[in-house]
Amino acid sequence: MPALFSMIKGDSKANRIAKWLVSGPPLLFLLVFFVAPSLIMLFTSLRFPGEFGGLAPIAAPAGAVHGEYGLTLETYQFFFSDILYAEIFLKSFAVAAASTLICLIMAYPLALLIARSEKRFRNLMVLLVVLPFASNFLIRIYAWMIILGPESVFSHFINTVLGAFGIAPVTLLFSSFAVLVGMVYVHLPFMVLPLYTNLEKHDPALLDAAQDLGANAWQRFWRVTWPLSLPGVFSGSALVFIPVLGMFAVPDILGGTGDILIGNLIKDQFLGTRDWPFGSTLSIMLTLAVLAITALAAWLARPAAIPEK
Amino acid sequence: MSVPVRSTALSALLAAVLLLAGCSSQQQNAAASGENVLHLFNWNNYIAPATIQRFEQSCNCKLAQDYYADNEEMLAKLAAGASGYDLIVPTGNAMDTLIRQGALKPLDKSLLPNLKNINPAYLDSAFDPGNKYSVPYAYTLTLLGFNQEKVKELGLPTDTWAIIFEPKYLEKIKGRVTVLDSQRELMAAALKYLGYSVNDADEQHWQQARDLILRAKPYWAAFSNTSYVKELAVGNLWVAHGYSNDMFQAALDAKKTGRKFSIGYSTPREGAVLALDSMVLHQSGARPDLAHQFINFMLDGKNSAELTNLTGSGNPNMDAIRFIQPEIADNKAVFPDRELLTRLEMLQDLDRRQRRLLSRLWTEIKLRNL
Repeated sequence: MPALFSMIKGDSKANRIAKWLVSGPPLLFLLVFFVAPSLIMLFTSLRFPGEFGGLAPIAAPAGAVHGEYGLTLETYQFFFSDILYAEIFLKSFAVAAASTLICLIMAYPLALLIARSEKRFRNLMVLLVVLPFASNFLIRIYAWMIILGPESVFSHFINTVLGAFGIAPVTLLFSSFAVLVGMVYVHLPFMVLPLYTNLEKHDPALLDAAQDLGANAWQRFWRVTWPLSLPGVFSGSALVFIPVLGMFAVPDILGGTGDILIGNLIKDQFLGTRDWPFGSTLSIMLTLAVLAITALAAWLARPAAIPEK
Repeated sequence: MSVPVRSTALSALLAAVLLLAGCSSQQQNAAASGENVLHLFNWNNYIAPATIQRFEQSCNCKLAQDYYADNEEMLAKLAAGASGYDLIVPTGNAMDTLIRQGALKPLDKSLLPNLKNINPAYLDSAFDPGNKYSVPYAYTLTLLGFNQEKVKELGLPTDTWAIIFEPKYLEKIKGRVTVLDSQRELMAAALKYLGYSVNDADEQHWQQARDLILRAKPYWAAFSNTSYVKELAVGNLWVAHGYSNDMFQAALDAKKTGRKFSIGYSTPREGAVLALDSMVLHQSGARPDLAHQFINFMLDGKNSAELTNLTGSGNPNMDAIRFIQPEIADNKAVFPDRELLTRLEMLQDLDRRQRRLLSRLWTEIKLRNL
C-alpha cells in the first residue's frame, strides 16, 4: 500500500502533462471520427428523407403547403413496427458469433504453435499470418468464388468424397457456408495476433511447476494456459465479432439468396433506397449493439481478482 | 424550380469521403479551365478509344473523362460537390432527378443538326418532354441471358420471364440461375410477368410480386449484379437475369475462350426495362460550346455505331445501324421490333414513402421464405 501511494504522489505535474500528450491524439481522433459522426447520425435519424435522396429540409421552404419538415421519430417507429429488423439483427449476431467461434478454434492451436516454437522462427511465422493483407481484400474474396465454384477442383473433390458415402452433391458457392468461410478467412489473423501476443508472454516455468505437481497435459492447458490466455481470447473475439457484424461485401459476393446481414441493409438504405434517416437509425442500433458487446468483452476480460484461497 | 440543398455536416462528411478519390482530377479540371478541354462524366468503358481520337482531332481540343459505375454513384458525387463537368450521361430516372434539381443547362438545338438521326421512339420521354435537356446516347435492356446448349437440352423457353419465376421450369435449373440484386429491376420483371407496368406502385401488386419472387427464390443460386457475367461465360450458370451489355460481354468471353457452349440473350415477350442513357449539359460545365460539338459528333451514325460495336449497347441512332456489325444489329433482343418496343418501359423514380416500403418488401424477400 505505501508503495502504491508513493506512485500516485510521484505523478507530478510534468508527468500528467506527458500522459495527456500521449493519450491526447488518439482521444481527439476518436472524438472527431467516432463521437462526432455518431451525433450526426443520431441527428440524421430524426429527419425526414429528401425527395431525391439526402434529407428533407428542417424548415419548410416559403410557400410550401404540405410536406414533412422538422424532426421526427418515424424511423424508429418504422424500425419497431416490424419484427423483420429485429430478425436481421439476430441473424447478423448469429453469423458473427459463429465466425468468432470458428476463428477461435482455428487460431488457438496456431497461436500456441507460434508462441512455443523457437524464437528465430516466430517472427517469420507471424509474418506469414499477416501476409494475406498484402493483397486486396476484395480480390481475396473473389478468389474464393473460384475455389468454391461448382466447376472447381475443390468442389469436385468434396462431391466425390461425399458421393463415396452416398451423399448427394452440394453446391458450395452462394451459400451461408461460403459466407462463413469468407468471414473466417478474412478475420482469422485478427484472432491469431492477440492470442499470440498473449501466449508468448506466458512463463514456461508455470507449466513445469504444474507438471511437477502432477498435472497431465490436458490439465496443464485447461488449468494454466487457458485461464491466463483469456484476455487474448476476449480481445481477439472482439476484433473478429465487431467487423463481421457490420460486413456487407462478403455476403454480397459469396452469399446466396438468403444471406442478407445488417451491413447489407444499411448499405441499401444509402444507395438503392436513398433513405438516409432510416439508414442512420439502423446504424445507430448497430453502434449501440457493438458498444454493448465491447463493454461485455471488457468486463469479461477485466483482470481477475486474486483468489482468496 | 430550384430545390434547396441542405449542406449539413453529414453531406460535408460524405463529400469528404466520396471526393477523396476524385479530388485530384477536379484540381486538374480547375487548372485546365482556360484550355480547350471538354470534361465528360461518363460510365466506365462507354466510348470507343477511336471515337475519342477522332473527336479530339475534329475539335482541336482534349476530352477529359471521369467515370462512374452506377447512377447512384454519379448523383452522390455531384451532391457531394463534384463539379466542372460539361457533359454527363445519366440514365432516365437519374436525369429526371438532375432536371428537377435544376442542375442541367437547356440544349441549343440549332447546334445539333444530327439530332434528326435519332429514332423518334426514343425521343420525348416522360423524363424530358420535348428533349429540352437531353439527347439519347445509347440504351441497355434488362433481359434474360442463357447457355444456349443447356437451355435447348432441357427444353426451356427463353422468351418469357416464366423461366425465372415458374417452379416447373426452375426445377430443371435449380442453383444454376441468378437474378439481379436490385429492388427495382427484379420487381419490374415480376410486375411485367404479372401483367403490370414496371412503374406500378400499387401495394397489393407489389405484394403479389413479392409472393411470386418468394416462390421462385429457393431455386435461384444468388442475387447477382456483376458476377453473373463471368459465371455465365465459364458455364457455372445456365440462366441469368441481367443487362444486355453484360450478356454481350459474357457471349464474347465464352466465344473468345473457346467454350463448348455459347451464350444467348433475349427480351421476354411480356416486356422489360429499357434504360436509356442520355447526354446532358451540367450547370457546372465551362464549355457548353464544346459540349454541343461533342453531342453533334456522337449523333453521327459512324461514331455512334462504334460504341455499339464495342459494348453491344442498344443504339437509338437510325443512321448508325448500317455501321453496326450485323450479328449485333440483327439481335432482336437489343434491337427490338416495333411490336416489342411498345412493351419496353423506363423506370421512373419512386417517392420517398414508396422507396421505404419497397425497401421493407425487399428485406422481407431477402430474409424470409414462403
